[in-house]
Amino acid sequence: MPTNRIPKIFLFLFLFGGLASLSFAQQNAQALFDDANEMLQEGNYQQALSLYQKLEGQNTVSGALFINMGISYQHIDSLGIAKYYFLKASQFEETEQQAQKALEFVESRFSRQSAVLPKLPWDIATDWLQEHIGAKNILLIGIITLNVGVLIFIAHWFVQAYPNVLRIAGLSLIGAALLIIASSFYTQYISERYSKAVMVTEKVSVLEEPTEEASIVSRAYEGYTFTVDHRQSKSEQEWAYVRMSNGLYGWIPNSEILIL
Amino acid sequence: MRKIGKAFYTVGFVLVFVLLGSPFSWAQSNVSVEASLSQTTIYTGERVSLSIEISGNFNNVSRPELPQFENFRLLSDNPSTSRSYSYVNGQSTVSYTYSYYLIAQKKGEYQLPPVSVSIDGETYATDSIPVNVIDQDDSATSGDSSGQPDIFLKLEVSDKKPVTGQQVITDVILYFRDGLEVNSYQPVPGWKAEGFWKEELENTGRPRAESTVLNGIRYRKARLLQFSLFPTKSGELEISPYKIVVAVRSARSGNDPFSSFFSGFGSNQREVELSSDPITVDVQPLSPTDDATYIGAVGNFDISRSISTNNALVGESIEIKTRVRGSGNIPLISKPNYDLPEGLEIYEPQENTRLNRRNSTISGSKSFTDVIIARSPGNYTIPAKTVSYFNPSRAQHITTTLEPLTFSIDENPEAIAASGNSGEIPVSPITGLASWIVISPNPADLLEIWWFWPGLIIPLLIVGFAYWRKSYAEKMQTDTAFARSVKASDKAQQRLKKAIEISEQGDIKQAYNLLQKAITGFISDRLNMPEAGLSNQDYIEALKEQDIEENLVKNVRMLLEKCATISYAPNTTHAYLKSHVGLAESTLEKLQKVL
Repeated sequence: MPTNRIPKIFLFLFLFGGLASLSFAQQNAQALFDDANEMLQEGNYQQALSLYQKLEGQNTVSGALFINMGISYQHIDSLGIAKYYFLKASQFEETEQQAQKALEFVESRFSRQSAVLPKLPWDIATDWLQEHIGAKNILLIGIITLNVGVLIFIAHWFVQAYPNVLRIAGLSLIGAALLIIASSFYTQYISERYSKAVMVTEKVSVLEEPTEEASIVSRAYEGYTFTVDHRQSKSEQEWAYVRMSNGLYGWIPNSEILIL
Repeated sequence: MRKIGKAFYTVGFVLVFVLLGSPFSWAQSNVSVEASLSQTTIYTGERVSLSIEISGNFNNVSRPELPQFENFRLLSDNPSTSRSYSYVNGQSTVSYTYSYYLIAQKKGEYQLPPVSVSIDGETYATDSIPVNVIDQDDSATSGDSSGQPDIFLKLEVSDKKPVTGQQVITDVILYFRDGLEVNSYQPVPGWKAEGFWKEELENTGRPRAESTVLNGIRYRKARLLQFSLFPTKSGELEISPYKIVVAVRSARSGNDPFSSFFSGFGSNQREVELSSDPITVDVQPLSPTDDATYIGAVGNFDISRSISTNNALVGESIEIKTRVRGSGNIPLISKPNYDLPEGLEIYEPQENTRLNRRNSTISGSKSFTDVIIARSPGNYTIPAKTVSYFNPSRAQHITTTLEPLTFSIDENPEAIAASGNSGEIPVSPITGLASWIVISPNPADLLEIWWFWPGLIIPLLIVGFAYWRKSYAEKMQTDTAFARSVKASDKAQQRLKKAIEISEQGDIKQAYNLLQKAITGFISDRLNMPEAGLSNQDYIEALKEQDIEENLVKNVRMLLEKCATISYAPNTTHAYLKSHVGLAESTLEKLQKVL
């Protein structure tokens, strides 16, 4: 009997230890967050930001953290960075509405507003899948659908009732599952290749080539958003190949932008 | 004459000092005492003049106290004297020069000992002077004077193995023989020193000719120009020839060592273009250092940093000034990069360079001014910064830490009033509990998720297995021979079991009948033979056609014969049947493997 208990004890300790450490990390994050919030309310934005950044550096994040960071940066007049954090906060369900309000406010404060080309439907769909479901979840749905489809298809070999219905349903589900799996990989590819970025410095030139001497494509100002092409940018360590919101492409120094 | 002269001298001396010296006697005296030799390289037996020059603002001066000169003979204890007075910008200066003559007695390299002078009760001493005495006979035999030019130009560098960026003082020296007089010179423009950044140094006085001996020939040499060269890369670099045009004439007497370098024009004057030989300098690379701290400076520097104010309002500019002072490659120094806190607007830094080309070196300062404007109130700290430069004389990198700078920024009341109507952000900070997630810095690849491959492979396996079962079931239903073959063994086993049961009930004959059916049924099912109407011999023949092992066929025949003849065996028992059933079981088992 004692020998049977040992694995159970180990399992309990493993689960308890894991959950306890996760819980401790979250408590620690909340305590640090509370300290930072006090600084923020006292108007000590620099110190509040250094604590918020500490949390961000630990990869323990929340929508509230990004909202508060955005507010702090807005107070010290770094509107580009404020926009960056409000965009991050908008990716969290609990802070999406507040982030949108803050974004509207910050956008209205930028000295220059840019024309934005509407997105293609396919891009909208991919963005939605990426933001709301995620490639991993789409893949899981695809795999489950595939297994269900296979089982239904097999059933038509052995079940006498409605064999045609079962066959068609099974094949349809398998087909749909393959499409879902393919779209999960496409979503993953798009999310790895492209990222949204926000310009955080006052003014910079978008250049045709990744050198200071290259001819200028356009000027970019604080708060402009770009789509960074990581595959194109891979060859240049200090430059990013970006698509501006008006559809123009060019190179911009990495130090000028923050990538979401 | 002597008395009058002495009285006149005394009166004049007193008058000058009463009228000019006394009103300024409170001023700090600036006295210099210098000794010089007319030539520092001389022959044995040659006469050389030792001059002691005393200048400055003083009242009483004694005659110089000469030391004991070894290897030199003093011609006379009574020096020839000269004096001069000057009155510049309200300050008078008196200059006395005492001249003695010495004769070199023995060849060798010597240090002429210091000469001391008492001025206003204080004793001053000159520096010792190096002298090289050479034997006239030796130099005459060793030197090949026939190949030596009368006048030539030479570049002389302070260091032939400098490091990159080190200041190399390069002198343009003119050598000319006694008997020649140089009236003027003009550098030929266009001299380049590729691989170097060059600066011409300022010569405060006119060039002075000094006597020297080269390969047994007495020359006079004069430094015409002086440059500072800073190598910009390592490796062997060549300093190209320097060219000048000089106007020279033959002089009737060149023995006077104190004759002016630039003599008057004469009838034998001609212009000569002279070119120096190129010089190769082996520039050593700098020893490796931390690139983040190195500011590109090579020399001897003092680096400091200051802030214009420690308290300012939002929107007001603050200047952070970084100053590098010293001697070396000042214009090539780059600005240290500071980690400025967030919330500051940073403007293009201003640079200001001041160079001093005097004193045979490039010195001066370079300052960098960072202009910053704080966007929000608060306390800011610019952290300490470590910077380094290379000191060639110590052959090492010198590291200096600039202390941190702190300043506080207050709200600007005017700015608040101006921005009062702009509105506040319509979102309040979230200060309560937050829901935290731990994000992975590197998102996993979809192909590396543990359930991905099982999720694909398992349905494929299920499909394969289901298809096999479906095919099997269909064959069992449609292929009679296959179905009989598959079921043959079970059927035979059931019959054998039944035979034992019947035998136990006492009906031995019926049991043997079942035993026979079990054997023949098994063979006919496996070989797809008709189920009835065949003799035992037909089964045996069928087995033989299948190339079955002879022993097995023999067993089958024996069992079938036993079953056929059992009616004639009155004493057959249950145990006897069981042994036959056992034999039948083992035989059928073997047959199943081969049929």
